[in-house]
Amino acid sequence: MGNSKKKLSLGQKQSLAGWIFLTPAVILIAIMSFLPMIQALFLSFQTGIGAAMKWTGGTNYVRMFKDPVFVQALKNNFIYLIIQVPIMLISALVLASLLNNKDLRFKGLFRTAIFLPCATSLVSYAVIFRSLFAVDGLVNIVLIKLGILSTGYNFLGHPSSARIVIILALIWRWTGYNMVFYLSGLQNIEYSVYEAAKIDGASPFQSFFRITIPLLKPTILLTAIMSTNGTLQLFDESVNLTNGGPANATITMSHYIYNVSFKYVPNFGYAASMSYLILILVAVLAFIQLKVGDKRD
Amino acid sequence: MKRRIASILLAGAMVASLTACGNSGGAGQNAGGKTGDGAKANELTVWCWDPAFNIYAMEEAAKVYQKDHPDFKLNVVETPWADVQTKLTTAATSKNLDTLPDILLMQDNAFQKNVISYPDAFKDLTGSGVDFSKFPKAKTAYSVVDGKNYGVPFDNGAAIAAYRTDVLKEAGFTDADFTDITWSKYQSMGEEILAKTGKPLLSCTAGESDLIMIMLQSAGGSLFDQDGNPSMVGNDKLKKVIETYVSLVKSGVLVEVNDWDQYVGTMTNSTVAGTINGCWIMASIQTAEDQSGNWAITNIPKLEGVGDATNYSNNGGSSWAVTAGSKNPELAADFLSKTFAGSVPFYETILPKSGALATYLPAADSKVYGEPQEFFGGKPVYAQITEFASKVPSNNTGVYYYEARDAVATAITHVVSGADIDSEIKTAEDTVKFAMGK
Repeated sequence: MGNSKKKLSLGQKQSLAGWIFLTPAVILIAIMSFLPMIQALFLSFQTGIGAAMKWTGGTNYVRMFKDPVFVQALKNNFIYLIIQVPIMLISALVLASLLNNKDLRFKGLFRTAIFLPCATSLVSYAVIFRSLFAVDGLVNIVLIKLGILSTGYNFLGHPSSARIVIILALIWRWTGYNMVFYLSGLQNIEYSVYEAAKIDGASPFQSFFRITIPLLKPTILLTAIMSTNGTLQLFDESVNLTNGGPANATITMSHYIYNVSFKYVPNFGYAASMSYLILILVAVLAFIQLKVGDKRD
Repeated sequence: MKRRIASILLAGAMVASLTACGNSGGAGQNAGGKTGDGAKANELTVWCWDPAFNIYAMEEAAKVYQKDHPDFKLNVVETPWADVQTKLTTAATSKNLDTLPDILLMQDNAFQKNVISYPDAFKDLTGSGVDFSKFPKAKTAYSVVDGKNYGVPFDNGAAIAAYRTDVLKEAGFTDADFTDITWSKYQSMGEEILAKTGKPLLSCTAGESDLIMIMLQSAGGSLFDQDGNPSMVGNDKLKKVIETYVSLVKSGVLVEVNDWDQYVGTMTNSTVAGTINGCWIMASIQTAEDQSGNWAITNIPKLEGVGDATNYSNNGGSSWAVTAGSKNPELAADFLSKTFAGSVPFYETILPKSGALATYLPAADSKVYGEPQEFFGGKPVYAQITEFASKVPSNNTGVYYYEARDAVATAITHVVSGADIDSEIKTAEDTVKFAMGK
């Protein structure tokens, strides 16, 4: 045994040490994260009320596409995804390149102000938006005083306006978060590149589209995948801002999964299978984005 | 330098948000810890949700029990109903029943669902010393599964109509004009009041079916039949209820708000002239002390053109359940039987302050119930409500009650914005059938 110990080269020793340091974290992640995921996969092939579960094969996965509420929730998630993510990422990109300007004063203040919404709790900001857009809330009072409306409009009581409020809330909450990624990406672009472009007569728009965007591509890809992931798992806004209403017009998949598990007669097998659909959707969308966005070869 | 300030600010903000999360997490763990440690022989932990109402009642019950059991300790953890349901589901599914308290308060509408889903999570209280014959059968029926009693009934949800007498007077009406009336009379008087004072008569939360269920039960209607199958299509009572509701919304007499806080706000801020709800709403009404003396209670309007219509209904109400994970199930059962199911003086104490109207029959004869209440115009409102409660038609909640409620709420939202009633009712029934796997 003593001989074999000696046979370890320095490199092997170092890598062994690395593995030893990694082991506790790996074991914890496996037990706390991967094991429940596998259990949930088994659960998604079972059905039954409460604790009495029996195997059912793939019926849960067929069932969800016949479920009008789930299909509605899926549609809602994609409406948020298609409208909110591009608006948010574009405005984050614009804000980041504005705030990256060397000659701008009070940069730190602006950066902090735009990032701050991200530090508020999900529940409290949703509740604040709910009261802002209430019939007697601030937004309606301002609109009435300005003479645009005669009586308060129930923003959260109509399907399209309720969706718009959720999208506005999401943009307010997450634009600064994505901006920080772009700002850090911009630090890696040499300022001399912009100066050279300026000397060659490039307009600010040209240098934005020809320099900033191509060089930021990996960061844009990262934020796009994260935002897609976040939007498909949207929960707090649907529960706290609109409670899924009016008439399920704003309910998200995660909110419906919660209802099926906790509010209604609990059907954890069905809930688990819907969670797995979200996982599959996130994986597929991320794969497409990687293929489209990453042109390295 | 600028960047350093920015990063300090950012770091500060993040730390603040992290500690905020940490705090709430810590509070949750403390509560959990207490339940875990509650293994001492004379201590019980209880989950319930309303400080002005059921928490107050529980604490008073502890004082009553402590007179004979001086060592007894009660630990009330304020837990909103939605959290009670979530924690119960989590604990029962993961079979960690010892994370639950000894006693929890359960909405009557959710009782059947929880006991049928998790039969092992609750203690059968039949023969535990609680005398269930002292409660009305319609009330204990909520917590009886397969002939076994799983809950000690607590509060009554008899529906009341409450009106602001000062606003009614301004428009030339009195609360007597609103007694024993129909919904169409209600609407026409409501329109007049709206025109004269600018105040709607009624508010409710959009997307919640409380008012719908009150109207439906007042005519003895249900969303399920005797066998627990959904019965919405061809249900004349349900159709009449939806028509009445939509007509009220369109006339402006009923205003829909988006959440519970706004709903209570419409009453406490005097933006509406009345409300219709379970009698437990009186606790919220009475938080507006400046309106004392300006409220009157009477019975609710009745539906027209359907058989069995009455002016009486029910909304909500709850019962105490003892969990199977309790370390002291005998103590819990004994505590409940000596207080909520055995002490008239206890109910006399809690009634005036909380409006917790007992379903315990011997308490109803108490003198306290006949005392005039200054807040409600000096009328003996509790005696009035006890009388209402005795006339409430019974209904079937069924196991899939919450699915049906939400489906009907969705249907109503669509009908209010112009959809066809019959096809929406059909969709609602299909949604419930789908949830039931039929």
